Amino acid sequence: MINRYRWYELVAIYAGILVFLGFILAPFVEGFLVSLKPLGLLFSSPYRFWPENGSFAAYYTMWESVPGFARYIFNSFFISTIVTAIVLILVIPAAYAFARFNFRGSGALLGAFLAVNMFSGAVLLIPLFRLMRSFGVLNTYLAMIMPGVAFLIPSAIWLLRTYMMRIPRELDEAAFVDGASHFYTLRRVILPIAMPGITVVAITTFIGAYAQQFIYALTFNSKTEYMPLPVGLFAYFGRQEVIWNELMAASFVGIAPAVVVIFLLQRYLVSGLTAGAVKQ
Amino acid sequence: MGQLNLNRVQKFYGTFEVLKGIELEVKNGEFVVFVGPSGCGKSTLLRMIAGLDETSSGDILIDDKRVNDLPPVKRGIAMVFQSYALYPHMTVFENIAFPLRVEKMAEEKLKAKVEHAARILHLDQRLQQKPGMLSGGQRQRVAIGRAIVREPKIFLFDEPLSNLDAALRADMRIELAKLHRQLRATMIYVTHDQVEAMTMADRIVVLNAGEIAQTGAPLELYHKPANIFVAGFIGNPKMNFLPVTCKGVSDAGMEVDYKGQTAVVPVRPHGGLVGRTLTLGVRPEHILLGAGDLSLKVTPTVIERLGAHTVAYAAINGEGENYCAMLPGTVAIRPEEQVLTGIRAADCHLFDEAGKALERCVELTDIDMGLLNPAAA
Repeated sequence: MINRYRWYELVAIYAGILVFLGFILAPFVEGFLVSLKPLGLLFSSPYRFWPENGSFAAYYTMWESVPGFARYIFNSFFISTIVTAIVLILVIPAAYAFARFNFRGSGALLGAFLAVNMFSGAVLLIPLFRLMRSFGVLNTYLAMIMPGVAFLIPSAIWLLRTYMMRIPRELDEAAFVDGASHFYTLRRVILPIAMPGITVVAITTFIGAYAQQFIYALTFNSKTEYMPLPVGLFAYFGRQEVIWNELMAASFVGIAPAVVVIFLLQRYLVSGLTAGAVKQ
Repeated sequence: MGQLNLNRVQKFYGTFEVLKGIELEVKNGEFVVFVGPSGCGKSTLLRMIAGLDETSSGDILIDDKRVNDLPPVKRGIAMVFQSYALYPHMTVFENIAFPLRVEKMAEEKLKAKVEHAARILHLDQRLQQKPGMLSGGQRQRVAIGRAIVREPKIFLFDEPLSNLDAALRADMRIELAKLHRQLRATMIYVTHDQVEAMTMADRIVVLNAGEIAQTGAPLELYHKPANIFVAGFIGNPKMNFLPVTCKGVSDAGMEVDYKGQTAVVPVRPHGGLVGRTLTLGVRPEHILLGAGDLSLKVTPTVIERLGAHTVAYAAINGEGENYCAMLPGTVAIRPEEQVLTGIRAADCHLFDEAGKALERCVELTDIDMGLLNPAAA
């Protein structure tokens, strides 16, 4: 591979990266800076980006102004974890079936999944609400978990199916010749090899569940103790004013568990797991 | 025991007939090789015997039991794939042990069996490694190990050596032949490499377009090909074919005419062909420099010097196809310089208009009789 750049090409490349990163990271940086400032300074004119006499005080006071905040983080984390677990349990066999077996209607079914993906949950809120009410699950964790699972399954199946289709079919055939059942093959052969793909699905599902629970929580749940993080953040919107610095601090604290999970999962994202399986 | 019978086995993909009523008997302990050009159905046939592809009609019998509807493991077969199909996340030990784990065999017995297989295949030092760390030849040996621990009645090999480089292929060929002698199991081997077929097989089955073109011992196919297809397929470089006219029949064979020259080809006499156009076949290695029973003046276009041999290609005017001669290594010929080549009538094959061979009266002492008839050996 040719890997030599002239100095001005290098400068251009890094400048490009810088612009791009700046664009993406600027809100985070500003959010973090805001969380360090005392509330009074936020409305000073002229506006200063750099916090003078900044401190981490907001990170302490946030727990006091909204006492239930730890619970909200737990709720978010709990709901996302359960959603991810259910999605994985359902999607792994489904993706295997879609990747390996030719059955009638598999194409139509996959198309339908894609179509479902095009609806956002918001479009279906009212029918969903009626459904939840007739099941009697309003104001429970279940009301936030079930629609979350339903809307995350299609993309998860598509993702994992694509990954599994890249696993050589000969491995299934070899296991079949050796007498292994489909489930044994899935468990002992396909699952370990598909681990990076499953990790990607787990991460996207977890993030998806973390992000999309807001709308379900807002509509299907009115109990404070079940509120997840995004709804919980509203508590910082006071009657008179918004406690911006604590809100920003709370946002960062709220994201932390998800970041930890992703950090833990990403070490399974090793490539080249099929090395030596078949001659390519 | 590992006796295999195929009775009028057919395979359709939609309305396309891939295999057209295959009849074959493979005896216990035999090493049978399926060869044929790509797309002839040889791999499909093997996968049908394995139980990976469904049989459209006809019976597959193993030890006189119909196995069409049985899964592979109940048929008593084991298969080695062209691409090895090793489980990359398992060690060599676990790869070989996989079929035994499926059977839920007791740990001690399993260990003994895997180690025994590993010893046969010289993998003892590699048992704790993953397939990714092994060379191509070692990987294929692991795949073979996975097949032999099950002690199947029939081994099926689907082009197992075609992914290896030439030197390794020669080594593995010898190892496989040894393994066959050691295990005395029935082996069915699919390849498109005729060197593998000629060297390893007790019997070769040549497939062409879904039909068996000929079945026989390697040298039988070489000396007495049943038709033009087998004649052209077995042997490298390919046999030369010349159009001739049949002039007469005698006890000595058929008298043919090629551009005014006549020769008597010693084949079993066959009336009714006089005046017809036949095809004369002669192998490149049987073409001599200088005059023969038939003589051809040719101008070589390309000359390949291989050391042991010199292969010369020439276009015979009007007939399009290359005329190829395999001559001694140090022969004094040059491209674009006309030479005289000769053909001995005794070396010739003769085919009728339908491509069927007229049986040659070959001196059978040239051929090992034991190979001609495996049952007699």
